[in-house]
Amino acid sequence: MARSDSFATKTLPAILRYGLAVGSVAIAFATGLLLSRYNFRGLIDPLFLFAIAITCWYAGLGPAILALVFSFLTFDYFFTEPAYSLYITTNDIPRVVIFVLFASLVTRFAAVRRRVERDLLQSRDELEKEVAERTQQASLLNLTHDSIFVRDMDNVIAYWNRGAQELYGFTPEEAIGKRSSELLHTISAVPVDDIRAELLRAGRWEGELKRTKADGTEVVVASRWSLRRGDQNQPSAILETNNNITERRRREDEIRGLNRELATRSTELEAKNKELEAFAYSISHDLRAPLRHMSGYADLLQKKASAVLDEKSQRYMLMIQESAKRMGDLIDDLLAFSRIGRTETQKTLVNLEQLVKEALSEVRQETNGRNIVWNIGPLPNFYGDRSMLRLVFVNLLSNAVKFTRTRSEAKIEVGWDDGNQDEVVVFVRDNGVGFDMKYVNKLFGVFQRLHPAQAFEGTGIGLATVQRIVQRHGGKVWAEGTVDQGATFYFSAPKP
Amino acid sequence: MVEDDPKDVELTLTALEEYNLANEVVVVGDGEEALDYLNCRGAYATRTGENPAVMLLDLKLPKVDGLEVLQQVKSDEKFRLIPVVVLTSSREEKDMVASYKLGVNGYVVKPVNFHEFVNAIRELGVFWAIINEPPPGSMKK
Repeated sequence: MARSDSFATKTLPAILRYGLAVGSVAIAFATGLLLSRYNFRGLIDPLFLFAIAITCWYAGLGPAILALVFSFLTFDYFFTEPAYSLYITTNDIPRVVIFVLFASLVTRFAAVRRRVERDLLQSRDELEKEVAERTQQASLLNLTHDSIFVRDMDNVIAYWNRGAQELYGFTPEEAIGKRSSELLHTISAVPVDDIRAELLRAGRWEGELKRTKADGTEVVVASRWSLRRGDQNQPSAILETNNNITERRRREDEIRGLNRELATRSTELEAKNKELEAFAYSISHDLRAPLRHMSGYADLLQKKASAVLDEKSQRYMLMIQESAKRMGDLIDDLLAFSRIGRTETQKTLVNLEQLVKEALSEVRQETNGRNIVWNIGPLPNFYGDRSMLRLVFVNLLSNAVKFTRTRSEAKIEVGWDDGNQDEVVVFVRDNGVGFDMKYVNKLFGVFQRLHPAQAFEGTGIGLATVQRIVQRHGGKVWAEGTVDQGATFYFSAPKP
Repeated sequence: MVEDDPKDVELTLTALEEYNLANEVVVVGDGEEALDYLNCRGAYATRTGENPAVMLLDLKLPKVDGLEVLQQVKSDEKFRLIPVVVLTSSREEKDMVASYKLGVNGYVVKPVNFHEFVNAIRELGVFWAIINEPPPGSMKK
């Protein structure tokens, strides 16, 4: 390679370079002797000049001067009359002068050439170094998955990295030299002129662009433009980095769509809720009135006609009144149940022990004449809606009292488990008639009853109410029971 | 008594009859009529301008509803002293809260069971017509 040759020349050790000077002059001398023997004396001058030129070319200025001095001495001593003396006859002076001048000229030329060559080599090395640096930078740019490309002020693409190829599907060969706007069918929400103006003013621009890939599909990119300026500060190129945000944009659109749908749904739900409220209101007014009338007129009739009514008819009257009362209770319970779903919960820290006491006093009248052993353990504080939680205990305790009616000694226990780290579990246990676990999933349904009405009265809404309240507190309810062995009802809620 | 349902009227009057209070009851069928009565206008233009000793008010009424009547009564200087007892089928908490906010003097939910109903009406009648001393300017029993 040329490069390593010149490199070798440049770094030849001094001894070799000066050896070259001596050697080349020696060879010229030997050849000169040979030529003079065959009477070719006219060729001797150029022979020495050639030796000087060779030395200068390959060994530099110093050895060349040495060669010049040696050549001059040898030439003068051996090849000018009188031979074997350094004396120069007048006739030979012009020839010697021309020889010396020509030799100096050759030396000078060679020295200049060498210098030029050295400069050239130096600048080539610098250039190569820069090229290597640039190549490394370019390959670094190829490592990134961001797509990067450079275009001139006419939008003609000059650089196209691997990320750009991955994003748009065009190879550098396909992209470089094309106008980016035509290659990529750029669509921008902002007018292109505005982008240009911003770019020239601030040196950068950021925004979203819609583009078309090589395979014809559309992509949305987050695009950042930087303006590169030339030596005279004139805009020279635009570096653009792009990130594909199609997926993100699609998800955002999806979320927006879902939000819109949610808003519509909740408006609908609100309307439905209002409707339901109006419905419940109407029930509480309009359904109760006729019941009251039935009961009232039946009573009036009974009073008026009691003398003429036989026992059977009296009983019919009683049935009418009982049924009216039962329906009134059903309506009241149902309304209370629906109200739980409609009203806002107002959560505070509730002392459950206190709450159980209050609930007990509410069910007290059901316990008249009963032998009940209450076992109320210490209870934790609970974060919830006080009046709703009281309803939970009233229902559970009233159930426990009701379903232990057949026991000579009823045992009712209220306690709690720490559960696990994030929830509190409270239970109400009784030794009553229990239930078959087969039907456990029916316990908490509205109007679901596991016992005939004549054995245990009730509307079948109590446990449904309990479940709904607990669920509104983020907890769950469950039960365990065995027929004739009692039942335990649990509810849980997240710890405050 | 402001009550649009004739059956309720009949049952209420029957209950009051037992205590000989029925004769004293003026029954109007809707909110507008109630306001006409109080203001001595329309059908009641010839009435002398005494206020009733107590006003039994249903909430669900044609034309002008009970809460509206209550609001007008309690915001009118001439009528605000009239004791008003809401007598309604509704157990709705919303109505109860609204009524108390407007300054109602009593709120009674009519029980379905007739005996309870009679008891409620009787106690109401006894309290407001006999025990309670009405404000000045009311009709004396």
